[in-house]
Amino acid sequence: MAASVEHIVNPTLIEARERPELIGGGFFAWTRENLFYSRLSSLTTLVLLAAMAKAGLSLFQWAFLDAVWSVPAGPQGPITDSCRALGTGACWAVIREKYRFILFGTYPFEQQWRPAIVVALFVGLFVVSAMKRFWRLELAAVWVIALLLIGLLMWGGVFGLTFVSQPNWGGLALTLIIATIGVAIAFPLSVFVALGRRSDLPFIKWLCVAYVEIIRGVPLITLLFMASVMFPLLMPEGVNLDKLVRAQIAIILFFAAYLAEVVRGGLQALPKGQYEAAYVLGLSYWQTSRRIVLPQALRTVIPPLVNNFIGFFKDTSLVLIIGLYDLLHSAQVAVAEPAWQGFGVETYIFAGLIYFVFCFAMSRYSQWLEFGLNMHRHR
Amino acid sequence: MRRSDLRCSTPAKGHDMLRRALRTTICAAAFAIAPLVTQARAQNSPAAAGTVDTLGAIKARGYLVCGISGDKPGFSFPDSKGVMQGLDVDLCRSVAAAIFGDPAKARFTSLTSLTRFPALQSGEVDLVARYTTWTLTREASLGLEVAAVYFYDGQGFLVKKSIGAKSALDLNGASVCVEPGSTGEVNLVDYFRANKLELKPVVIEKLEQIRDALMSDRCDAYTNDSAQLGSFKATLGSAGDNYVVLPEIISKEPLGIFVRKGDQRFFDIVRWTHVALLTAEEFGITQSNIETFRKSANPQIQRFMGETNNLGAALGLDTQWAVNAVKAVGNFAEIWNRNIVPLGIPRGINRLVKDGGAQYAPPMR
Amino acid sequence: MNQEELKVVEPAIAETNSPTQAIAVSIQKVNKWYGNLHVLRDVDLDVAAGERVVVCGPSGSGKSTLIRCINNLEEHQQGTIVVDGIQVDHNIAHLDAVRREVGMVFQSFNLFPHLTVLENCTLAPMLVRGVARADAEAQARAYLERVRIPDQANKFPGQLSGGQQQRVAIARALCMKPKIMLFDEPTSALDPEMVKEVLDTMVSLARDGMTMICVTHEMGFAREVADRVVFMDHGQIVESGSPQAVFGQPKTDRLKLFLGQVLRQH
Repeated sequence: MAASVEHIVNPTLIEARERPELIGGGFFAWTRENLFYSRLSSLTTLVLLAAMAKAGLSLFQWAFLDAVWSVPAGPQGPITDSCRALGTGACWAVIREKYRFILFGTYPFEQQWRPAIVVALFVGLFVVSAMKRFWRLELAAVWVIALLLIGLLMWGGVFGLTFVSQPNWGGLALTLIIATIGVAIAFPLSVFVALGRRSDLPFIKWLCVAYVEIIRGVPLITLLFMASVMFPLLMPEGVNLDKLVRAQIAIILFFAAYLAEVVRGGLQALPKGQYEAAYVLGLSYWQTSRRIVLPQALRTVIPPLVNNFIGFFKDTSLVLIIGLYDLLHSAQVAVAEPAWQGFGVETYIFAGLIYFVFCFAMSRYSQWLEFGLNMHRHR
Repeated sequence: MRRSDLRCSTPAKGHDMLRRALRTTICAAAFAIAPLVTQARAQNSPAAAGTVDTLGAIKARGYLVCGISGDKPGFSFPDSKGVMQGLDVDLCRSVAAAIFGDPAKARFTSLTSLTRFPALQSGEVDLVARYTTWTLTREASLGLEVAAVYFYDGQGFLVKKSIGAKSALDLNGASVCVEPGSTGEVNLVDYFRANKLELKPVVIEKLEQIRDALMSDRCDAYTNDSAQLGSFKATLGSAGDNYVVLPEIISKEPLGIFVRKGDQRFFDIVRWTHVALLTAEEFGITQSNIETFRKSANPQIQRFMGETNNLGAALGLDTQWAVNAVKAVGNFAEIWNRNIVPLGIPRGINRLVKDGGAQYAPPMR
Repeated sequence: MNQEELKVVEPAIAETNSPTQAIAVSIQKVNKWYGNLHVLRDVDLDVAAGERVVVCGPSGSGKSTLIRCINNLEEHQQGTIVVDGIQVDHNIAHLDAVRREVGMVFQSFNLFPHLTVLENCTLAPMLVRGVARADAEAQARAYLERVRIPDQANKFPGQLSGGQQQRVAIARALCMKPKIMLFDEPTSALDPEMVKEVLDTMVSLARDGMTMICVTHEMGFAREVADRVVFMDHGQIVESGSPQAVFGQPKTDRLKLFLGQVLRQH
């Protein structure tokens, strides 16, 4: 009853509260209220605006007006003196010269169409996986096929493709491989670890707790270092696991420990009644986990999962400490050539933009997903 | 959180004492155990017992694996097409050419200063040519040895041309930029004191700021390892012409090619390939003119060319090993000119002995 | 198989209101503690096949705990519970068998929100009993008809009212063809206007001869269908007997006090 009474009173109140924005023309009213409400605030606003304008202007001048877009070629390679003259802005010529190295690393130049296709495949895979209507079991098969295809393209050695050994892989292609395979294997693993952590069997529970706590207690850089340095020393003579594989294993273990905690959060959020209902219906542990618990628990943790994926994507850049030419390392090394030294800012910006595109896409997707899933949950 | 993953000492965010203690312990353990394992491996490895046939393994595998830095200008770095270039890289290619007759049979693995020795010990790479200084402890306790010293580096000075210094001894009263906490700072003070020169050190951490300090006349000179000075000068572009690297080197940094101890045959191949490059320079044999020496009357050149005395057999290689090495990358001067000259580093003591330097090729006979 | 099952479902099942002699649930000297809290004290209760027992008592009296011990949702520490001849103990095979015999309806429905109503009803028969999908769906639709919500089959639980959800929960339990049904305060979480529709369903189920143990405060329901009412307090069975006897002539002060409170509430 009370609700309907309030309903009659309220409209005027609502109108009154909305009025300033409607009548005052939105933007101007907001500006006056928030930026110019007193003499001091007006002054502050103007000073800040001027500073921002100046900074923006010099950035614009550096990045566009004064930028050098290409340099002449000389007999000994490109002549970069025009980039080094005083007062010049960004030397985008370095990107023109080095973009293929930054994207594909030391992959043989004539074969770089292969990692290019791989990057496209990955993007396609991400887009397909992001669409809810493809969330079916067949998607797993698509992933397996795509990853096999990616391996085939990168390694070659069959169908007339020349063999390219792993130390030659690099750039964006390598970053995507490490990040994607890392997440693709770490995620299922993390689900088992999260379930194990809530297990009634003390040994399994203890094992999972120890795994998560130990891995989370160690920086990724230490894990990479151990995988890169210690592991080969502990292996029998002559047995050498690929450097990339070792790094990949370290990364999977690291990702899985973090994801397991996210998944565990989802499991904890599930009401006890769901377990009880499944139990009294006679469902087994695995039937309960697969059909009742995980579908609900994972749905609630998709946003934090995606946020973790963003972090992981950037974390992969740490593989540079073991000498893999991922995107960031390629961008750094691109300016090692004497002619191009000193233009690290430009290559960093280039690599940073690539990271940004991927991370921003994931971030927007996560927000959209959160909204969509919540809509679903409340009808 | 992610940032904190980078460092061991950063406390865990949860302020959970137990977790923090665990993290610290594991970190400490990881870094403490590594050298122990490294040393244990060095003592127990079959290589130490002299049973490993590296050359056989390389031939069976079909390629040589070299550990390089992969991001050191002039020494090893990928060019725009992703092909490795540099002094370290060319030396590796020369060894591959001596073994296989084909420099393309060299593969490169990028190593960091942390991973370079374990990678060699574990057999992941066959040799390490990674801007690595030859020292007593590295040779005596790691189960590794230096097969060839290819670059005598050391701390030098970069000065403004305008102050007119021709030698470091002219730097009396000069302000010198130096990075803090380095042995470079100690060497600098020692050198000035030993030569009774007045020093005004300007300690600056960041390279960018050192650049600014030089440009704005806060420093007259900048001291660092000479290879570093060379690349620093290169980054100044045309402004680099206003600076000059002085000839004095005030500390010793002999850069060597490291191999595992206990395999004398492979050690010999690496050492004598380097000697062959020096010998070629001595005789004026270059990549392009080498075939014209086939008919040389000089018996030393005859031996070098494999026309008489099969020297290759003594190394387990074919007669053309030295020829192939030079054909692949040129003689030592050519390698130097291709890789180090663009950095603006003078040949200095890395000249041949006959030119007044320290590079001395023992006789090939 | 399909036809056989439908036969059990469709006809309004033999009109029998008289309990047979077979013992469905036998509870003897059962004790249970939560830490130091003694929640069940020497409880004895035998329920015959086809019998309808209503368990009531103030909150914290142990009545929910008691019926949750029957299908091992809670573990008892002393005494024996035998369900349809199967001992409820640590033997997993026994527990699995008991779970198949006993259906349960919860206070908070506990439907699976990510599955449709139909899927809620077909999941367990398909997974546990190995019923083919078509058969399971036919059976589920029959039971949904029985609880009078056949047209909601493809909706999600979140789209239904509380009363509808609880009727789905009953249908879901029935789909497993249990011999015994446990109801744990099935109407307590419902808005008053929805209580009746659920009780009507339960009454009709009782008429069909299902063995039922219900924890509820619904006196009307107890009077209408219960063969026996059991009053519990402080973990003990204080009084038990026909609804008329227990509600009409309470012997103990505790029951009188309880009845007074319950009647005042309603």
